[in-house]
Amino acid sequence: MAHADLLNLTIAQAAPKLERRELSPVELTEAMLARIAAVNKRLNAYITVCDQQAREAAQAVERLIRAGYYLGPLHGIPIALKDNIYTRGIRTTAGAKILADFVPDEDATVTARLKRAGAIIVGKANMHEFAWGGTTDNPHYGTCRNPWNPERFPAGSSGGSGAAVAARTCLGALGTDTGGSIRLPSAVNGIVGIRPTIGRVSNYNVVPLAWTMDTVSPMTRTVEDCLTMFEVVAGHDPLDAHSAQVPVADYRAELGRGMRGLRIGLIRDYSLTHVQKAVGDAVRSALKTMERLGAQVEEIAMPSIHGNISAQLTIESCEPSTYHQEWLRARPQDYGEDVRTLLEMGEMYLATHYLQAQRYRSVLRKEFLAGFKQVDVFVTPTLPFTATPCGATEVVIENDRKEDMLSAIMQFTGVPSLAGLPALSLPVGFDPDGMPVGMQIIGRPFDEGTLFRIGHAYQGETDWHTRAPKL
Amino acid sequence: MAKKEEPVTRETVDRLCVLADLPLAADRRGKLAAPLAGLVAAANELSRKMAEGSRRGVLPITRFPEL
Repeated sequence: MAHADLLNLTIAQAAPKLERRELSPVELTEAMLARIAAVNKRLNAYITVCDQQAREAAQAVERLIRAGYYLGPLHGIPIALKDNIYTRGIRTTAGAKILADFVPDEDATVTARLKRAGAIIVGKANMHEFAWGGTTDNPHYGTCRNPWNPERFPAGSSGGSGAAVAARTCLGALGTDTGGSIRLPSAVNGIVGIRPTIGRVSNYNVVPLAWTMDTVSPMTRTVEDCLTMFEVVAGHDPLDAHSAQVPVADYRAELGRGMRGLRIGLIRDYSLTHVQKAVGDAVRSALKTMERLGAQVEEIAMPSIHGNISAQLTIESCEPSTYHQEWLRARPQDYGEDVRTLLEMGEMYLATHYLQAQRYRSVLRKEFLAGFKQVDVFVTPTLPFTATPCGATEVVIENDRKEDMLSAIMQFTGVPSLAGLPALSLPVGFDPDGMPVGMQIIGRPFDEGTLFRIGHAYQGETDWHTRAPKL
Repeated sequence: MAKKEEPVTRETVDRLCVLADLPLAADRRGKLAAPLAGLVAAANELSRKMAEGSRRGVLPITRFPEL
């Protein structure tokens, strides 16, 4: 196949070619490594490119296929991992100077599961330092940039994973999501990403940010590819104390069921409030498409929704500061300025602030569970604005008023994080500058299947996900 | 009626550093007062709402019920 054709393959398109030996894992991996070499200087999407290990893995999985052992739809698929996910024998920095020389002697559970499925790790993706921030403006490994416009940010903290997938340097990636770190870069890079229900995917051997909210999950170009990676990484892990003993559903059975009969909720005075015009227009248009496909949209009141940003900031301040307590005293100069400041401030909350924020989660979750008696999912934009210039610390959403980036970016993604609910982000349009807009769909606990169902049906009717940035 | 917030000052940060056993240089303590004031004000507002009598029975989530 021509090089350009290889780059645009989705997992669903590449897998049958690999199985039938019309395409070799070595050929596909070499195409991705060449693409990384061509674009990574401009994007800084990777902290470590695993050329040698990827080539060796590609040859090994190719031998398996030739011997008649096909492991499934990830066999021979090049992927990237966020650099806070342990990889045995490959350094895992978490985007931090403090872990610059850390080479794990074992894999994360998710890494091991992907390897067992035959996936090939081409690199470790850039990220916001220790995942504590939403820009991937990394002072130690360089600013990651958005493939749609390298002057704009890729969001974060899994910005490298988002940029790597959008730039066609891999067919899928893993990110981590505490308060939005998969969904935010998925939205601004024009790709798909899912935050799972807490406990659905193992966090074992993943550098933590906030223990009570952390999750790991895939980022891909299509919903179907996202499902393909998700069904490999999902499931109970006895090594993770927070892992759920809930059977993994047959997500693939949800594809093709369409949207007829589904009830979609908008949260009153929230879902479409305080957003840039292009973002609101794109999400409203997506809702019309979903109605045309047979879904019903209705508004639901959720009286406690507006405490979410403070609760998220409080929990995301206190828990990381607890984890980093020793390093913050021993090596404060080794943190970037923004993360160091956040970690210092996280030590200055009162215990009552933290516990009230954790109690708020109970109230928010109860309101969502009540809402799910009336609707199947809730919809919001993924974030209220499109990609800002790299380095920006403030953003204008409406009325020319500048707002703090960290609070503004959490407006919608913090809610499912706090309530422990799964949420999918998928592309639903572009702003007048050609920057992608993402929509977030929030589901019931452990009902990722309905999110895949809706997202797949939507992508069957639209072509946003097929568009590629010109690099 | 809600009590008026006392602003977080440089002196407040000094005291919190002592309480937290966090030895920050003077220039760093000076940088924290303004952003911390905003965060603490928001946390106090949420705390007031969560402390209302109608919510006395609410338990904190540190582990999800399904686990």
